[in-house]
Amino acid sequence: MPEPAAGIAAPVRPVRRVPGWLPVAMMGLLMFGIGAYAASRSADFLSQFNLNTLLGSSGALPLALVAMGQACALMVGGFDISVGALMTFVVVVGSYLLAASYAWYQLLPASLALLGIGLVVGLVNAGLIRRLRLPSIIATLATLSVLQGLSLKLRPVPGGEINFDVTQWLNKSWGFVPVAFVAVVVLAILGDLWLYRTRSGLTVRAVGLDESSSRRLGAPSERVNWGAFVASSLLASLAGFFLAAQVGIGDARVGSSYALTSIAAAVLGGSSLAGGRGSFVGAVIGALFLSLIINILPLPNILPGFLREWSDALPLISIGALTLLALVVYQGPDLWARLRAGWANIFGSRTSRAAARS
Amino acid sequence: MTSTPPVIALSLQGVCKRFGAVQALQDVSFECRAGEIHAVVGENGSGKSTLLGIASGFLVPDEGSVEIGGVRLHTGHAAEAHQLGLTMAYQTYSHILDLSVAENLYLAAPVAERPTFRSMDGWAEGKLREYDVHVAPTARIGGLPLGLRQFLEVVKALLSSPKVLLLDEPTTALGPGEVEHLHSIVLDRAATGVGIVYVSHRLPEVLEVAGRVTVLRDGQSQGTHRAAEMSEETLVSLMIGRPMELAFPDRAGAATERDVLLRVSQFSAPRFGPLDLTLRKGEILGLAGAEGNGQHELLRSLAGVERAAGSVECNGAKVDLRSPFGALRSGIMLLSGDRTRESLFPVLGIRSNATIQVLRRFSKLGWLWRGRERTEVERLVERLKVRTPSIEQPVRFLSGGNQQKVCLTRPFLRDVHVLLADEPTQGVDVASRFDIYKALRAKADQGVAMIVKSSDPIELSGLCDRVIVISRGRIIDEIQAEDLNERRIIEGIVHSRRRAPVQAEQAARA
Repeated sequence: MPEPAAGIAAPVRPVRRVPGWLPVAMMGLLMFGIGAYAASRSADFLSQFNLNTLLGSSGALPLALVAMGQACALMVGGFDISVGALMTFVVVVGSYLLAASYAWYQLLPASLALLGIGLVVGLVNAGLIRRLRLPSIIATLATLSVLQGLSLKLRPVPGGEINFDVTQWLNKSWGFVPVAFVAVVVLAILGDLWLYRTRSGLTVRAVGLDESSSRRLGAPSERVNWGAFVASSLLASLAGFFLAAQVGIGDARVGSSYALTSIAAAVLGGSSLAGGRGSFVGAVIGALFLSLIINILPLPNILPGFLREWSDALPLISIGALTLLALVVYQGPDLWARLRAGWANIFGSRTSRAAARS
Repeated sequence: MTSTPPVIALSLQGVCKRFGAVQALQDVSFECRAGEIHAVVGENGSGKSTLLGIASGFLVPDEGSVEIGGVRLHTGHAAEAHQLGLTMAYQTYSHILDLSVAENLYLAAPVAERPTFRSMDGWAEGKLREYDVHVAPTARIGGLPLGLRQFLEVVKALLSSPKVLLLDEPTTALGPGEVEHLHSIVLDRAATGVGIVYVSHRLPEVLEVAGRVTVLRDGQSQGTHRAAEMSEETLVSLMIGRPMELAFPDRAGAATERDVLLRVSQFSAPRFGPLDLTLRKGEILGLAGAEGNGQHELLRSLAGVERAAGSVECNGAKVDLRSPFGALRSGIMLLSGDRTRESLFPVLGIRSNATIQVLRRFSKLGWLWRGRERTEVERLVERLKVRTPSIEQPVRFLSGGNQQKVCLTRPFLRDVHVLLADEPTQGVDVASRFDIYKALRAKADQGVAMIVKSSDPIELSGLCDRVIVISRGRIIDEIQAEDLNERRIIEGIVHSRRRAPVQAEQAARA
């Protein structure tokens, strides 16, 4: 009991929570294990070429960028389903604007225009979600459909080569490490430092965790939400460049898998579907992890014999299963707390029993 | 001695606000001087919250103006009110539960006064010490007890050194010592020239701390009075009295001799208890109290909708309260206060809504017997006077009163021992109210025991056989039929603190 007028104090129950570094550490360990296994089974895995593919635009790079974008949308408790279709659209429009014959002074404004598409799509998404109060899943599903339709109209059949200079520039590597991959990692680290070590980052997390309370505290919740969806689309359009570098041709069917995989990567990296939690580094690691799985499954000798005929299906199946597993594991403490609260309500908690005795 | 006119910190002039059919505020003018604690009291629904909402810029009044520190507020701009130096401690708090105490304080502090991000914990510790709150700045707010959270809500509002501070029911979760501590802080702040608006149900606390008191009744101001010249009795007299006279069905009387039907013992959950209750056959028990003192949760826990510890016996058998289904099996039924969300299927017709829990009665081998269902529902619609073109009318097209009557068909269609009614006439027109009271009383006369939670003391005094008053989750007063009237109930609610020691004694015995 607090003594009268001598201030106020309370016992605080320590709260168990998944620490922010845990998903990243778990992913790292798993990747190391899987990598070691793959290296022991297949000599191809550790080849310069394969590692470059794994990290570069044919592997983790576009997924890492779009997953970072998805982490922004998840941070405010929303989903951005349209990212895959936006990437496709950027590839398709890029097959016109980044034509093989163009010189750099034509390519530069063209690239800006492609990023502009991302900006516009982001603003449309945010407007639908914030102004018209549509659920983010439905709103972005609608923009997905529109973008997909436009892509099919522009390139009913694959065609139009992407400028080779652009592709090469995007694929530039130091040894087996793509330069762009290093840039993405640096971007992710800066992003996390901002999110967890600055005032504005705290404000963003606060809005994601509890919008009405943070608005009462004077946080610019509207701006944060708009910013999240615009950032998601911008990063997706940037990812579109690397997808273009991967396929090299205007193809209206290339990006469709990224809606799910971007969510999977962000969730594996620690993003919470309820908003307010997640990290950019985590999203990149999640993307790397998924790319690793997609990369090694087709290698010879990786799968035991009876699973070989499944090698085309397994990437998709394992992505889905891993996403579910991550959601359950990271929500573990919350589930546990809920179970315990239910238990305490039925049988009395330790504190209330103690109070009843005294 | 000629004194200079007092500085007005906050002033509302001729404010009117209407929500649908309800006139929440009617030409209310209100002034809070710099350096005074100005209390606002009134019953539930008298317009206190609306007044605060308009002053803080969250609500736009239909008419009237707001000035903060002499500057006219563009009403409806919460951020502007904040810039003019007005902050508010919310009754429902503004904490982000997943963040730490320090992070919450940091977010609440004005940008200019925030320390660097790294020094946040040390800064927060200093602030907490300043207010004599002993809690680790790194503790997650969601893990703290309610009383501490409520206190921190006030601390947060004070961080930006406001000129006007609005406190909305700041003591609902505080113990006596904590209330005293809060009051000393508030008095200190007033002494430095802050104008403080103190909204509370607890008249002893109000009279202790406030300089002046404004009373609201049905959205109209009953004048501003000096607290020193007021007593609890005079304040209560100003709060009660409603022009609308309501009719109530006759009581059966002498419920005290009948069998006990419901026995609740050591019932507790985070928001209430532990408390004991007995309910006799055919008795209507009223549940009174200021909003947010656990009545709502108590009712829902008794219906198995929310979890609680303790034991409940109905008709001599233990009730399984782990789910609403368990409660229903024992004959305990809840009429939810949130009809359209929790009771009714708005797009379905009256017939489907009435019989959805008892379809087995009208079916054979899995096939529904529409004709029997129809005649039964039609009989009830007529009996309860549901005004509708047909029993197939989707209930979302019905008025609030008729919707409630549709809910009331359900206890008439199945065996019910105990009926729990949460605000049975909220959003119900006056004409329908009497029909609802009559239906409830008819059910009671069949031997059903009832608990009615209502924020309307007139309703409680007219309808119930007995009323208990809940404060901070405990029963603090019990009013028998012969003493039941509006005034007595309000006295029970607002005198809550004086009776607190009795409660403490009970708790000690338990």
